[in-house]
Amino acid sequence: MGPILDGSFRAEGVTKVFNGSLRANDAITLHVEPGEVYGLLGPNGAGKSTLVKQVIGLLKPTEGRITLGPYDLVDDPAMARQLCSYLPQAQMPIDAFKTREAIRLTGRIRGGDGAAVDRRTDELIEALDLSVWRDVIGAKLSGGVKRLVGFSMVSVWPGRVVILDEPTNDVDPLRRRLLWDEVRRLGEWGSAVFLVTHNVMEAEKAVDRLAIIADGRLIAEGTPSSLKAQDRSFLRLQLMLVPSAATPTLPPFVMHHTRVGHNLVTTIGQTDASHAIAWAQEQIGCGVAEEYALGATTLEDVYIRLTGHVSSDDGEG
Amino acid sequence: MASAIRLEGTAVPRPTWRHAYLTMTGWDLAGLRLELPLIVVVQILSGIGFVLGIGLFFQRIPAQVALYVSTGVVVLNLILVGLIVGPQNTADQKLAGTYEYLRALPVPATAAAGAWFTVALIASLPAAVVSLVIAELRYGISFTITPSIVPAVLLTAFTGTMLGYALSHAIDDPMRTRLIAQMLVFFVFGFSPILYPASQQPPWLATISWWLPFEHMATIVRAGLTTGVVSGIGRSYLIVAIWGIVGTALSARAVGRRA
Repeated sequence: MGPILDGSFRAEGVTKVFNGSLRANDAITLHVEPGEVYGLLGPNGAGKSTLVKQVIGLLKPTEGRITLGPYDLVDDPAMARQLCSYLPQAQMPIDAFKTREAIRLTGRIRGGDGAAVDRRTDELIEALDLSVWRDVIGAKLSGGVKRLVGFSMVSVWPGRVVILDEPTNDVDPLRRRLLWDEVRRLGEWGSAVFLVTHNVMEAEKAVDRLAIIADGRLIAEGTPSSLKAQDRSFLRLQLMLVPSAATPTLPPFVMHHTRVGHNLVTTIGQTDASHAIAWAQEQIGCGVAEEYALGATTLEDVYIRLTGHVSSDDGEG
Repeated sequence: MASAIRLEGTAVPRPTWRHAYLTMTGWDLAGLRLELPLIVVVQILSGIGFVLGIGLFFQRIPAQVALYVSTGVVVLNLILVGLIVGPQNTADQKLAGTYEYLRALPVPATAAAGAWFTVALIASLPAAVVSLVIAELRYGISFTITPSIVPAVLLTAFTGTMLGYALSHAIDDPMRTRLIAQMLVFFVFGFSPILYPASQQPPWLATISWWLPFEHMATIVRAGLTTGVVSGIGRSYLIVAIWGIVGTALSARAVGRRA
């Protein structure tokens, strides 16, 4: 047993340059307290996975420090692996393992005591509603169930830092909810949880604080409400365009817009609400749009404003 | 009743090397459960194939040839899992994207390597034994097995496994790993004096073979199974051991490397 550890996770000025020029992370500084669920949001390629790979010791920062309490995770990658558990974005190597066995063995490898690991394994299987697949090998599981088994492997004997890279990919809405409960529990036990995602709607509900990362830089940080505060005087007007319709000419009161597929999302000022409704109905009237929705801005709108991207998967909404 | 794991104010668990080695051996065995029986069967069949097949080259196989082939096949049985299956598995893990997860487990590189060596040995030994039994039955060879067979078998399997392990981890591109492993096996089968004495090679190839571990693996294994057939046994142990250390060092460096 090593020394007793309480302490926050700190990344200070973490910079990662690939091939001498590509700055995947640019002077990222953040801290996460034990018990906190911390979201790392950003478009694909923003540098989120690069950051967490440096935490776990798979990559070495070009500059900067990463510490947990008294431990320097960059200098001591073996300690980093002991202190952090990591669910990568890629699939887990469990094709030949039965569900229960994969979770149990990982708990043992992480240093958990046999009986306690067994108990915790059974609880996770129960809590995530995986009982039907308890003795089924990974090769026969669907992508979403595999993802839940992977989450269980990472959290059966959690590290002080638990890194979850897109944990809900392919997971059905019902079990997503169960998974978020378990993520919460990790926080209650004192793990600092890093939730890496590009799914803003989900993150909004699951995290205590979050950072938005774009082009390798941390461009905003705070609680979901504090980040939304700046956008409180705005509204979101969403138009479902008729398939194949071109984006209509936007009236001057539209402050910002993004189009993904047939979905046109715009930001408008509160005082322009009535003009906006009239304009939206006009678009339906002339056959450009099929329906519209007007509502308060969400974290997604903040995200769009800051990154210029739409979060690509709205999940359970 | 839910577990209440409390992390704050508790010590950081530091599993021992032994714990890491044992749990990783369990992991590797479970992970190979679909392939392991097949590997063992293929190894046994290939061992039998060599022992019996080479006999068909001759109307009446000379005693010396039978002895060289039968003892050489044991070496092939001992190194092929480490040299082929290891790199193949790692290449598969890299292509499937699961390699990073395995690298992020809190397991010392030497414990992970030791676990894989154990599994490779388990997969190799049955075939080695069967090959010897078949040779004894078919050619009436009576082997004089000495205790030195134990270090010879362990060192041969270890060096083969570690060279494969180095190939798996020191080369980033999985396709290249596969290609090199396959070429190496081709070289070992065809151009290494394992099944025949080095004196039958052209001098330039014999010189190359002398610096490589394979001829010496055959020498030390043969020394444990026969008397008066081979010489220079101490030197051969040294050369195989040096290659084992080189393989281990390259692997350790590669596994600990951070881009």
